[in-house]
Amino acid sequence: MRLTYDLGCLIHHEVIPLFELFVAKKHLVSRRRQTLLVVGAVALAVAITILFRSLINGFETTLNEIIFQFVPHVTVLPEGSESYIHLYKTLIETIWEIPGVMAVSPALSTTASFAHDDHVENVVLRGVVPYELNMISKIGIDYMVAGDLDSIQNGRRVALDQGLADELEVNLGDTVQVSFPDARTMSLVVSGIFDTGGFSTNYAYVSMETARDFLGEGNVVTDVQIKLEDIYQADEVASELEARGYNAESWQSQSGIVETIESRRFTNTLIMLLVIVIASFGIANIMNLLVLEKTREIGMMMAMGAAPKSVRKIFLIESGILGLAGGLGGCLIGYLIASYVNSLAIAISSGPSFSVILTFIVDPWDILAFPLITLLLSVVAGVYPAHQASKLDPVIALRG
Amino acid sequence: MSNIIEIKKLRKVYGDGVELVALDDVDLTIEEGEVLAIVGPSGSGKSTLLNMIGLLDTPSGGEIWLKGQNITKASPKERARLRNKELGFIFQYHHLLPEFTAVENVMMPLLIAGMDKKEARHRAITLLEEVGLGDRLNNRPNQLSGGQNQRVAVARALAGHPSIVIGDEPTGNLDSKSSDMIYELLRKLNREMNQTFILVTHDMDMAEKTDRILRLVDGRIVCEMRREGDEFVSRDICRAD
Repeated sequence: MRLTYDLGCLIHHEVIPLFELFVAKKHLVSRRRQTLLVVGAVALAVAITILFRSLINGFETTLNEIIFQFVPHVTVLPEGSESYIHLYKTLIETIWEIPGVMAVSPALSTTASFAHDDHVENVVLRGVVPYELNMISKIGIDYMVAGDLDSIQNGRRVALDQGLADELEVNLGDTVQVSFPDARTMSLVVSGIFDTGGFSTNYAYVSMETARDFLGEGNVVTDVQIKLEDIYQADEVASELEARGYNAESWQSQSGIVETIESRRFTNTLIMLLVIVIASFGIANIMNLLVLEKTREIGMMMAMGAAPKSVRKIFLIESGILGLAGGLGGCLIGYLIASYVNSLAIAISSGPSFSVILTFIVDPWDILAFPLITLLLSVVAGVYPAHQASKLDPVIALRG
Repeated sequence: MSNIIEIKKLRKVYGDGVELVALDDVDLTIEEGEVLAIVGPSGSGKSTLLNMIGLLDTPSGGEIWLKGQNITKASPKERARLRNKELGFIFQYHHLLPEFTAVENVMMPLLIAGMDKKEARHRAITLLEEVGLGDRLNNRPNQLSGGQNQRVAVARALAGHPSIVIGDEPTGNLDSKSSDMIYELLRKLNREMNQTFILVTHDMDMAEKTDRILRLVDGRIVCEMRREGDEFVSRDICRAD
């Protein structure tokens, strides 16, 4: 019995002071409009921040998916001043020995001028084995809009990007003139058109033999692309190949896009946090007004025996409640909007065979962190007004 | 009867530069259970003296003893504790907390003391019934008349069983009927609980109903009259002023 009484005392007077909580709650409820206004401001700032961050998360995830569909995880390039990798068969054997390798695709790549009627375009012309290329980027499987990729194996044929086909005004079956200084000019029949929504602009694929004929080169390649089971193994694989004397690059070192997204997320989160700070300090403003308005009553509470510490607690609890409510409300609003927009499945398209669904991915840590951040900020915002209230002289306060 | 308050050479000086002596070496002893009236013109130091006794203000000199304890230099925390435990206040303006109902206002000193909410509510209801507001428990101050609010304030002042109740013009804002009612209420409680009442008033009719009248002028007690039966007898020389 005694123990439970002591426990009760602890709960009431130390952790959650009953009197202070009683007064704080009443103040907030009786000033409903002001309370809602300031909670709303904080909630709005938090909701916007959470939405922004989840949009970036969604964007990043989508982008990663896209990158990993088109971008090789590791690329082996010619050594130093060399133009070609000569002994690429040995290289490919070496690569296949590395655990976790899913696909290997060598290519002989060059720049070429494509001409049709009056149109001339500079093109990245890659000689590939369609089967191997499909293992890397699935172009021949998922992105063909006309013809097929395998057709390039049948002699002087080319598969090219939709955008490029539009520029040149060519259709399936048309012939393009391909030339380049020091290269053998040739005519290629368009046997496939693909559309990746912008990830293969100005790309054209021919067979390895066609590319070698065009360049007049022997059994060489310009690069070997590798796909791994685990994309984060890329750096490791690249350095292993480096150690064996090859020039290898991982997607991490090649693609600046990841860094760009990260720095974007960081700077924008910083700006958003400032907005939250400003919104939270709206609480300081409300608290200052409240202390002024309640001066006489604070005096009376002091006359009734409320210690300065109690008075301080009342106003700290009030601002804390406002901040916490704002944070939680903001999380809820943010989460609901994110879920709603996700349920609409809004497609952002870029090209007929390519579209991205606008996706918000709310980070669970954000839901935990933002209410804590606003709680902390609001308590800090309440320190000064609460201190002012606790310092009031009861005699003067009672006079009003 | 024992002395509940002893005041020795109490001084209060206000202001820097031009000094204003609000209390000038006041000596005063108040017995337990006494009903004391302090009268005097505005600015005579009545309220200052009351604030000193009520531990709301600190003296510039002299000593205050409460129940045999020198509380002149008590810390703010200790003074708050004593105000809560030993003192009840009734002001000219009721100073009820506007957001709270009558019963919640009366509960307030009890909650400050750390009493359980349910228990505090029970005591508050009993007190409000005693002051005749049993049917107004859940009304807020703006839903009550001036006299009713002042009765709530009386109930609040008495909630924590204080040994001393201090009234600064407790009926100053009321008509004579409400005023009489409040005074009768205080007197009844005094008889029942032997609480000490110290009242500052302008109202001589009320003052003459107490046990002792002190007249303050310019921060000094110039006249002290004590009731003996139905008559007030001046003990000291009452200076004509």
